[in-house]
Amino acid sequence: MKRHVAWLCALACAAGAAPSRGQAQTADTLFATGVRAYKNLEFDLAASLLRRDLARRNVAAVPVAERARGLAYLGAAEWFRGRRDSAVVVFRRLVMLDPRYRPDRLIFPPEVTSAFDAVRLQTKTALIVLPGDTAVVLGTTLYRFWIVVSSFQQIDVSLRYEDGAPFRPLYVGPVGDSLDMSWDGLDAAGGPPAVSRMVLRVLSRAPTGELASIVQVPLAVTLVPADTLPWPPGPAASDLLPERADGAAAKRALLGGLLVSSAVLVLPAVVGESDTPSEPRVAVAGTIGLATALGFILHRPGRPLPDNVRANQAQRDAWQQRIASVTAENARRRRDVRLTVRGGEPTTIQPRGP
Amino acid sequence: MKRGLGVLVAALAASSISAQTIRPVANAAVVTARVRSELPAGTEELSGTALRGTGAVAFGRFHLLASYLQGSVQPDGGAGQSRDLAEGTVLLGAVPFKWLTLETGPYARAYSTPGATTQRWVFWELRARAAGAFIGSAVHGYAELWRALTADVNVPEPFDHAEGGEAGMIVRLARSPLEGRLAYRIDHVVLGGGSRTETVDGVIIGIGVAWR
Repeated sequence: MKRHVAWLCALACAAGAAPSRGQAQTADTLFATGVRAYKNLEFDLAASLLRRDLARRNVAAVPVAERARGLAYLGAAEWFRGRRDSAVVVFRRLVMLDPRYRPDRLIFPPEVTSAFDAVRLQTKTALIVLPGDTAVVLGTTLYRFWIVVSSFQQIDVSLRYEDGAPFRPLYVGPVGDSLDMSWDGLDAAGGPPAVSRMVLRVLSRAPTGELASIVQVPLAVTLVPADTLPWPPGPAASDLLPERADGAAAKRALLGGLLVSSAVLVLPAVVGESDTPSEPRVAVAGTIGLATALGFILHRPGRPLPDNVRANQAQRDAWQQRIASVTAENARRRRDVRLTVRGGEPTTIQPRGP
Repeated sequence: MKRGLGVLVAALAASSISAQTIRPVANAAVVTARVRSELPAGTEELSGTALRGTGAVAFGRFHLLASYLQGSVQPDGGAGQSRDLAEGTVLLGAVPFKWLTLETGPYARAYSTPGATTQRWVFWELRARAAGAFIGSAVHGYAELWRALTADVNVPEPFDHAEGGEAGMIVRLARSPLEGRLAYRIDHVVLGGGSRTETVDGVIIGIGVAWR
């Protein structure tokens, strides 16, 4: 008895170890079995299996194309069961799911495709096809997207805040099949968006003007300002020449003049002659002394050095030019603000039941 | 000693090859000359003016200089005969440092008195001159000393020694080859163990051109 219990437990564990795989296989099996039953003209069985399959697929993250195929077979099965109303409901669900879907005319007979087309023409809904993550330059480049409608209808395309308040209207008017749309990244006032989340909403209206469906996609927008250039550094103190004379030149003039004057005065003594008259020497030494005094005044400490002032001013002017060019470049970059747009999952709202 | 001199000359020659630019210099000057001759018999003093012309060609750190001075000097007080004074030098120079110039060469002087024998003095000199700008780059000061290595003099007294020098300033106009010179010079020759001395001194006022 204990051995039987242990065997059953092990079997239960093994069965529970791969539930998702088992579920997937079940779903595939249901769909395939349902399609096979449809092809065998067992429409009741097909409808039952396909409904169960769609019920499972709705909860799972299944691609739209597979769900559309299931709905098409289910609608056809309902049609051939004579349950036209159910078929119309299924076809409307199919149109709402994917307005671009068209049943394969090699698989489905004309009465089914005609019924589907009739439902499609009466169902007013839209599909928003967004690009992947996109960056646009505000006011310069455009964020482009595509709106596909199920049939001719009036649509109202707008951007809205998350709370539903209008952000910017984009289009109001008729659409026959599809419409290329674009947004320049600006709000209704021509400024950059002040929020990071908004909603792209498409209202579909019936010919009577009644609201038929609402499709909206959340958009996450991020302003990315361009990097600005740093201010160029000003001329370093070590690069600038002194604009006022220090005392070195004046000291050199004084000492040099003193030395040369002294050399003139003592020259006879140096060569061994002491009886020469001093007038010529004093005259020369005195002239050199006058030149020395003049040189000292010309090179006095603190006097302006025009050449250095000009050279420094040239450096400062060049720096100011660099500042001006960086300012202009930064202004251009500030205008070149980029907006990244990331679209979310679309949702469809039907104000009225079928 | 000779080897060291050879090394110095070789070094200077090598550095001058890298700066092979010939730079001519020429200047003319008015020289106030005063001659004082002290002899056992008495002292004779003469003074006057002379003109001196100088030309030089520099090549790298070397230069060749020639100068000629001519004038006449009269006895102070008016008694006695005047003499014609002529001097000439040819010097080969080198610049081992920017501020120092060494020169050597013959220096000849002649006194000629009408009706008397012309005195000729020929010295082989060695000169050293230190120079540098002291008022901006426009005014240069210099001091020069020379000494005779050998001499040939046609006077009775035997040659003893001779020395001299020059000091002054040169004003160079900015961006112009013109220059002006104001200096004082003196030559002092001793003969016969001091029994005779000959001294020539004076002021030099000149202008010149120097292509730098």
